[in-house]
Amino acid sequence: MFNRIKLRLNEMKTINQLIPGADAQANALGEETAGAEHYVLAALELEEGSAKRVFAALNINAENYRDAINKQYDQALDAVGIDAETVSIEPVTSKKLLPVSHPSGRQLMKSLHALKKNDKDRPLLGAHVLAVAAEIKHGVVARAFKELNIEPSDLKNAIQHELKAHQ
Amino acid sequence: MTKPKLLPTPNDPEKALAAVVALRRTADQLERKAVRQAVSQGWSWSEIAEALGVTKQAAHKKHAASLKKTKK
Repeated sequence: MFNRIKLRLNEMKTINQLIPGADAQANALGEETAGAEHYVLAALELEEGSAKRVFAALNINAENYRDAINKQYDQALDAVGIDAETVSIEPVTSKKLLPVSHPSGRQLMKSLHALKKNDKDRPLLGAHVLAVAAEIKHGVVARAFKELNIEPSDLKNAIQHELKAHQ
Repeated sequence: MTKPKLLPTPNDPEKALAAVVALRRTADQLERKAVRQAVSQGWSWSEIAEALGVTKQAAHKKHAASLKKTKK
């Protein structure tokens, strides 16, 4: 009973870091609202370090992922004849009192909630965020992993390996 | 001069939708910068709204608060 309360408090603390963290990542990358890719970056910033270890197992880091996000935008613009170098993306000064997520960010949080419902004995970890992100087949999250040549199966294996260490 | 290219065909939705997302992000950035510039050049919110093809209230709601924060 006491352990469950402790886990729940820990979960609330993690969510309280994750949501503003994703918002800050979005603003730094020039966007008003946090999408799923910004939640991935925020998970990599969590102190417990599980997401960071998953990335390290795949020989990548947060900076590589951030670069891959930008690169997939550049490639998409290039496909319509816009030279990415002519588009300067500035950080956004957020005007919101409370963080508001992009639909992809909201969907990630919804999936995270569903995942944690079936995984009650472990604290909420950055690796859980990656587990949800690894299931996303389209959009910026998936394109950034593809840009880094990360196979979804390798990502899922590294996540499972990390999560097992927390049992 | 930017090289002219054909838009990705909708028959390749992965590529076409990626282009839509990137263009939307670029358009948002350009809008923010242009509105900031317009305000600094003395444009009224009515003029900005007219140029953007939205209502004055919509333009103000979207940009006024972030402009105030930038000024601080």
